[in-house]
Amino acid sequence: MESKIRRKGYPYILPALLFIIFVFFVPVAYTVVMSFLRWNLLRPDLGVRSAGFSNYVRLFTDVFTLETIGRTFYFVIGSVLVELVAGFIVALALDTEFKGWKIVQSILLTPFMIAPVVVGFVWRFILNSDYGPVIHFFKQIGLGAFVADPLLSNPHAVIPVLILTDAWEYTPFVVLVLLAGLKAIPQEPFEAAIVDGASLWKRFRYITLPLLKPSILVVIVIRTLTSLRVFDIVFIMTGGGPGTSSETLAFYGYRTAFQSYNIGFSSAINMLTFGIAIGFTLFYMKIVGGGKNAE
Amino acid sequence: MRNRKRTALKTLVFLIVIGALLWTLIPLAWIFLSSFKYEADQFSVPPRWFPGRLTLQNYAKFFGNAEFVRSFLNSIMVTLLSTLIALGLGVPAAYSLARFNWKHSNSIAFVILLARMTPPIVMVLPFFMIARYTNLSNTVIPIVIALSFFSVPFAVWMMRGFFQEIPVSIEEAALIDGCTRFQALRKIILPLVLPGISATSILCALISWNEFLFSLVLTGKDTRTLPVLVNMFVSERNIEWGVMSAAAIVIVLPMVIFGMIVQNDLVRGLTMGSNK
Repeated sequence: MESKIRRKGYPYILPALLFIIFVFFVPVAYTVVMSFLRWNLLRPDLGVRSAGFSNYVRLFTDVFTLETIGRTFYFVIGSVLVELVAGFIVALALDTEFKGWKIVQSILLTPFMIAPVVVGFVWRFILNSDYGPVIHFFKQIGLGAFVADPLLSNPHAVIPVLILTDAWEYTPFVVLVLLAGLKAIPQEPFEAAIVDGASLWKRFRYITLPLLKPSILVVIVIRTLTSLRVFDIVFIMTGGGPGTSSETLAFYGYRTAFQSYNIGFSSAINMLTFGIAIGFTLFYMKIVGGGKNAE
Repeated sequence: MRNRKRTALKTLVFLIVIGALLWTLIPLAWIFLSSFKYEADQFSVPPRWFPGRLTLQNYAKFFGNAEFVRSFLNSIMVTLLSTLIALGLGVPAAYSLARFNWKHSNSIAFVILLARMTPPIVMVLPFFMIARYTNLSNTVIPIVIALSFFSVPFAVWMMRGFFQEIPVSIEEAALIDGCTRFQALRKIILPLVLPGISATSILCALISWNEFLFSLVLTGKDTRTLPVLVNMFVSERNIEWGVMSAAAIVIVLPMVIFGMIVQNDLVRGLTMGSNK
């Protein structure tokens, strides 16, 4: 009986599974193969030759690549941290007796529906040093010295600006998930704690935080994975510049393939990004699976 | 004492909410107002929020430009096609994962999740090469396949949750009454998950409509989508801020409206089934 039911389930899932396997594994396998090749589309005369592990060796020895990896982690850790802290604060504020939380939540959610390309354009516009309102505002309140250089052509400011842009787009996601988690926490432990005279901070530290841990982990993992793939806003706002000071792994992989046409090395870069993503997905499966056992 | 603390807390909450609203809305307000400004007013120094006169000429320029209109239509086409494919493949798969319990369902779930979590940059180069070899570069086929690839896993995970919410007993009753499993699915289960299907399709459409990297690489002159077009115009030296602002509003508005409708289902879709 059981095996019959099992067999009956396959026709429903087979088309999707075949589609995913075909469209997913073929390109990934292709990338693996290309990452072991010396292949430059601009030099067809050299042909396609085996590269052994040289692309990977270069990946981990080239100073520029290591810098890019470091910069990517700077961006990922920075954006996840900013979004987590800001999102937590807003979620907590909306979880009080505050009546209009639903309306506020819908308004706060808007940036999340907006195409990242447009988000990049919006921020590039408002940060424009001549026609944008932000720089002008800074000058008016006497902080003009901080923004004397155009922000997007200042190598030290460019990653923080990208982090803020990313935070504008994705903090709503953090708010949404944490708020759903907060609303799901039962009231009883709080009532008991109030009877026992526990302070607001103690109630937060010993009841809210532990009960919210699954949601927080989910947010961290998903945001890390989506932050790792950041490309659109970098492309629109800075094009990786000034110089290469805002190039992340995804952008580096793109530029190596579509501007330098170094197919082999680009594939090796992308394999590294892929490896990091697999690690986080496994971790995610573990925590989501853990949540199911607890049910 | 207690009351004072309460008031302080309320004030704090109020300030946080106002701060968050301003942070969210100011950039949007700027773009919205700019889309109604005359070209001359775009370049006023210092920048002015309300120049005192408004115009629709930016929108007229947008819809008067054949290239813009074509990419607008392209965007609609690839979004519709990829959403249809995602639902066609994803809904039965989700049903299967929710109802049948087999040995490998965990590994299948992992593959589907991994497909969703994989950074697009990993896939884009092989996609580009394959499209080149197969001479499909000038058609919408590569981009539609790519966009479907992003939304299928999404549809599966989201719909699985909706199917799980429907008690098995309803289906069993139908089976006892002589329905085949397919009939039970079509006549009884599908109508029940219809709200879920509409939410899923809106979110799938959101993914396709906003996608940029694959569209950039896989579309050509005739198949360009709106985000690619925006990029082309923004990377020019003399950006037409007004027209681009109008374009931004045109891209953003439908998705914001649809997104508002399904925001209650957003959490479930975006966290890949971890929040119930």
